[in-house]
Amino acid sequence: MKKVKTIDLRVSIAGLELKNPVIAASGTFGYGAEYSGLAEPGDFGAIITKTVTLEPRPGNRPPRICETSCGMLNSIGLANVGFAVFREDKLPALIKKNTVIIANIAGNTIEEYVELAARLNKISDIPALELNISCPNVKLGGIAFGTDPASAAALTKAVRRAYKKTLIVKLSPNVSDIAGIARAVESSGADALSLINTLYGMAVDIKKQRPVLGNITGGLSGPAIKPVALYNLYKVHHSVKIPLIGLGGIMDHRDALEFMITGAAAVQIGTANFVNPSAVKDILSGLAGYCRENDITRIKNLTGILKC
Amino acid sequence: MMKKILQIKNAPILFHRKVSSCARHISLSLPAIAGTAEPGQFLHLRISSGSPSPLLRRPFSINDVQGDRVSILYEVKGAGTKLLSKMLPGETLDVIGPLGMGFDIDPQKREHLLVAGGMGLAPMGLLARSLKGMKLKPELLYGCRSSAELVKPGITGCQISSEDGSCGKKGLVTSLLLDRLRICRDPAVYACGPWPMLKAVAGICHKNNIPCQVSLESFMACGVGACQGCVVKNSDGNYVSVCDKGPVFNSRQIDWDQDCVI
Repeated sequence: MKKVKTIDLRVSIAGLELKNPVIAASGTFGYGAEYSGLAEPGDFGAIITKTVTLEPRPGNRPPRICETSCGMLNSIGLANVGFAVFREDKLPALIKKNTVIIANIAGNTIEEYVELAARLNKISDIPALELNISCPNVKLGGIAFGTDPASAAALTKAVRRAYKKTLIVKLSPNVSDIAGIARAVESSGADALSLINTLYGMAVDIKKQRPVLGNITGGLSGPAIKPVALYNLYKVHHSVKIPLIGLGGIMDHRDALEFMITGAAAVQIGTANFVNPSAVKDILSGLAGYCRENDITRIKNLTGILKC
Repeated sequence: MMKKILQIKNAPILFHRKVSSCARHISLSLPAIAGTAEPGQFLHLRISSGSPSPLLRRPFSINDVQGDRVSILYEVKGAGTKLLSKMLPGETLDVIGPLGMGFDIDPQKREHLLVAGGMGLAPMGLLARSLKGMKLKPELLYGCRSSAELVKPGITGCQISSEDGSCGKKGLVTSLLLDRLRICRDPAVYACGPWPMLKAVAGICHKNNIPCQVSLESFMACGVGACQGCVVKNSDGNYVSVCDKGPVFNSRQIDWDQDCVI
């Protein structure tokens, strides 16, 4: 009987060691317990928790989601329990799972981001943080920092001083020059980048002649944005040296491969978790199969092998 | 105890029938879900496996459970249900369930009034079955727009109203409820239907101090409480997700002054 070759699925992102390259995107896997029975946090290389802010946030008025052609709009508005409840109630159960926890944070001011980063710096069970400077659904903070290189740099620099572990910055595609933002963030001390967050979008109810979403506009995700995400990843890959985590419409292992070949060291899946909670397992087995067929023993060797 | 939620990737369709001008009844072989499903819970169906459109799953109330079979009742309304309506027995669906919090039955109550408007009939089959299983007597008050849209409820003890008077009593289901409440001694109300109907039923029950549970509808993504996409405002002014805190709520927990989501 022919022995099935084991593929080494481990990846390393700026010193952060992951058992596999598939990460749950912020806001799509809750705090890990919600999908119990369908998908386990331990299936992922890492879980990025839902954006946490210093104080609880109620989020935006409904409707908050809407399906569009091959995609979906969301306008959750960073609804979250706030840092204290996150630490006391949500984190303990997640820590017990066999995965790496990355905390995603947002604030209204640089001071709020720094305060959160300083608090997270002391939590040994969280080895990395993802800075959300790209949420399109809140008025203050978030995207205000992610659309201007100087603001993105100032925020990254301030958080870097307070945070000694792996610092990942999540970029917005809603800019004219994502590579410029990426370079500004890199030179301010970011260890890695996640890209892309959702694209601004909108849908109209023609019967009511009103926007479908309660917040009027939302963020577009899903297969519809995959080509945009790949293009942005391609641009940034040629502009910075730090590792990249690719996301945007990844539904299966073929999509994940496109991102890795283009330059992603790891990938995040978001909308796919809603559609198919077993996507993580399906993608991992598909990636291993591709490696076997192509005589690749270590998945990390796929990153950036795009021939142009 | 944690409720067990399963993903069954290929649940076979056993039968699929047109039951009114706009509604269809579909029965799936789901032995693993049939055993634990409670009235008021729902299934989250992926209608186009492998295709990106329609992308999101669609939530459907569980209509009834018989043996290993779980059925749903739905209206052909948008792209998802249109595609679903074309599926044939023998084909399979990717199902997640049973999801959400269902109806609570208080066996101390004397009368159990199931108030359904239009497709709000959907969860009443299993609710009636469960009540009967507890030796309680369900009474269905069912309102529809016209006889063409009337779905045969399959529940004994049923009063019907229609907006155009083409079947049952002419008018809204709320008038059936008001009539019935006049001669009730200690009723409980379980309601499902469009938001304005639920609001009216909740108003009647609050005024008469009658416990009322409502099954709400919302656009959903994850279906398990992770994404916070399907929220409604509760009476404390907080947003709660319909998928895991509901879809069935005590009517007093809901802020009825908000705009309806669907």
